[in-house]
Amino acid sequence: MKKMNQTTMRRLISVGMLAVLVILFTILAGAGKGNFLHFDNLIEIVRDASIPAIIGVGVTFIIITAGIDLSTGSAMALVGMVMANIYEYTLWPFKVMVLCGILVGILCGLINGIIVAKLHVPEFIGTLATMSVYRALTYIIAIKDANGVIQSEPMTHSQYVWLGYGIGKFYYLIMVMLVVVVIGQIILRYTRYGTNLYSVGASKKAATLSGINVERVQMVAYIFTGFTVAIGAIFTTARLQSATTAIGTNFEFNPIAAAVVGGVALSGGSGDVIGTLIGALFMATLENGVRKLDMNTSYQYIIKGIIIIAVVIFDAVYKSRIDKAAKEQGAKEGLE
Amino acid sequence: MKNINWGKYSKPIILVVFIILLSILRPKAFLSLNNFSNVLWSVSVIGIMVSGTIFVFLIGGIDLSIATLCAFSAVVVVEVTHYLGDTPKAVAIGVAAALAVGLLAGLLHGIIITTFHIPAFLVTFATQSIFLGLAMVFTNNKIVSCTVPAFTAIGSRKILGFPMPVYFMIVIAVISWFVLRKTVFGRYVYAVGGNETAAAISGINTRRSAIMCYMISGLTTALGGIVLASMTQQASSSTGAGYTNDVITAGVIGGVSLLGGEGTVTGAIFGAVLMGLLNNGLNLLSVPSTHAGLVKGLVIIVAVAFDAMQHADQSRKKVKKVKKAQA
Repeated sequence: MKKMNQTTMRRLISVGMLAVLVILFTILAGAGKGNFLHFDNLIEIVRDASIPAIIGVGVTFIIITAGIDLSTGSAMALVGMVMANIYEYTLWPFKVMVLCGILVGILCGLINGIIVAKLHVPEFIGTLATMSVYRALTYIIAIKDANGVIQSEPMTHSQYVWLGYGIGKFYYLIMVMLVVVVIGQIILRYTRYGTNLYSVGASKKAATLSGINVERVQMVAYIFTGFTVAIGAIFTTARLQSATTAIGTNFEFNPIAAAVVGGVALSGGSGDVIGTLIGALFMATLENGVRKLDMNTSYQYIIKGIIIIAVVIFDAVYKSRIDKAAKEQGAKEGLE
Repeated sequence: MKNINWGKYSKPIILVVFIILLSILRPKAFLSLNNFSNVLWSVSVIGIMVSGTIFVFLIGGIDLSIATLCAFSAVVVVEVTHYLGDTPKAVAIGVAAALAVGLLAGLLHGIIITTFHIPAFLVTFATQSIFLGLAMVFTNNKIVSCTVPAFTAIGSRKILGFPMPVYFMIVIAVISWFVLRKTVFGRYVYAVGGNETAAAISGINTRRSAIMCYMISGLTTALGGIVLASMTQQASSSTGAGYTNDVITAGVIGGVSLLGGEGTVTGAIFGAVLMGLLNNGLNLLSVPSTHAGLVKGLVIIVAVAFDAMQHADQSRKKVKKVKKAQA
């Protein structure tokens, strides 16, 4: 039997996990209107998966370079709050507001990039720190009433609310998500930058020696993530029709979880955006199913944590077996 | 060497400057006896936790689950005490159960991290979610209170004018200092953190050392949770929120390198004192606690970036030295 390609194998496993979950919830929570397996509910799942998937595209880029971003949730809140301020205090047109939001997102990414790539602070510490910095900034610029109590800012601009809907059940959010995923996949597969991402993730030293500007590759990945965070923030606030300081609390977990389930190895150098999309769908299906079964929603935190550990352990074991097999084969060929 | 080692003196200088600054800005509020014990309370919880987590930092690991493990152990002690009928004996069993939870959590971290060679931040990132979920499930997402005198005494009883947690912190810090300085295991910890491969080659059971480190960290985190619950007389899934950052910041300010192999307990306790003063100072300057993250985040970034720069500098110097010797 011809041995299966490692990435194909991993893709099959994540698709299989998703399929098993769908079948499981169909049996437990039933099919038909108002139940789990119904067109409306499935679209709802895809919609819930969209924001983690969009931001997951950026986070995938970062993880491929063997980095991580823990600040996405807080950066989302900051982008939302900046737009809320513009909405509240200026008469700037809608497009300018959105543009400012995107710029803030990119700026957040740029700061992360500088901290990680230029200052050489370990990724998870640097972004853990910016996580609290961005959240604090959100509180500082939050819109307050005369007594200094933070208000949630309703954002009911007609064009803005429009973003929360779609053509029938096909929400604009889902379309944007698909576009971002396709662009992300094209960048990874068919551009020089994509190839560079993989080489940096596989070995920074080797990448430097072969003439790749590692710092720039990392910076661009963080900046791109900032951009996707801004898109996520725009659609979150459009759907909620308001901006609050609590947006994105504990969110940073979701895109990372999606990437991990989808086969993006945290040691860097492997995985792709389609995998992350499958992972995001998996997580959204899990959340939806837990809700449909009327289980205590707190259980989802436990289940998610266990799934991530299980997948990561699986990846580690799988990788060490492949490495071992490759070594043995190499030794054998050497002998011959 | 001619140049003064600023790293050595910077800590006391920062501390003194900070205290003077606060005394000038808020003389009445800051210099009162009442505030002094407030600072001590805040310091002691961070101090208790960092005395244990320093072991994890020293082997180059990290624990992102501090806050939620703290919450979970707080919930365990309160719930077990309730379940067993709120007697002093129940409190003792509750405390033991919470400490056991901490130890088990550490054991789990250690085993997963060392067996499968998975980065510590990833494992603790995932378990953070598990502990949060467990704390929520156990409390049914509510705040559970516990006003049993035997329990509240842990956090609020005063001996010779100082609250109990201060003594806890001192005892644990001394034990931690003793283990790191005077025992073989302590030497192992520094060796593993300095260069794991070299440590393994020289015959150290690096795996066992690492697991022990994570267990110690879990234990002190649980103790921190117990003290925190006792001080506030309640527990919920948000008990200890923000302490992950506080403990890491305390370590970093105290000169503990998150890259492993460098740092002392005295430094870490110093970091805890500074963090306590910082929390208290920002509070007195009426900076809302939600804004404090800005300062703490910046402190982490600056300190770690400085640390990374020094490391790069040192290795460059070493290379130069070797080249000179060869020439």
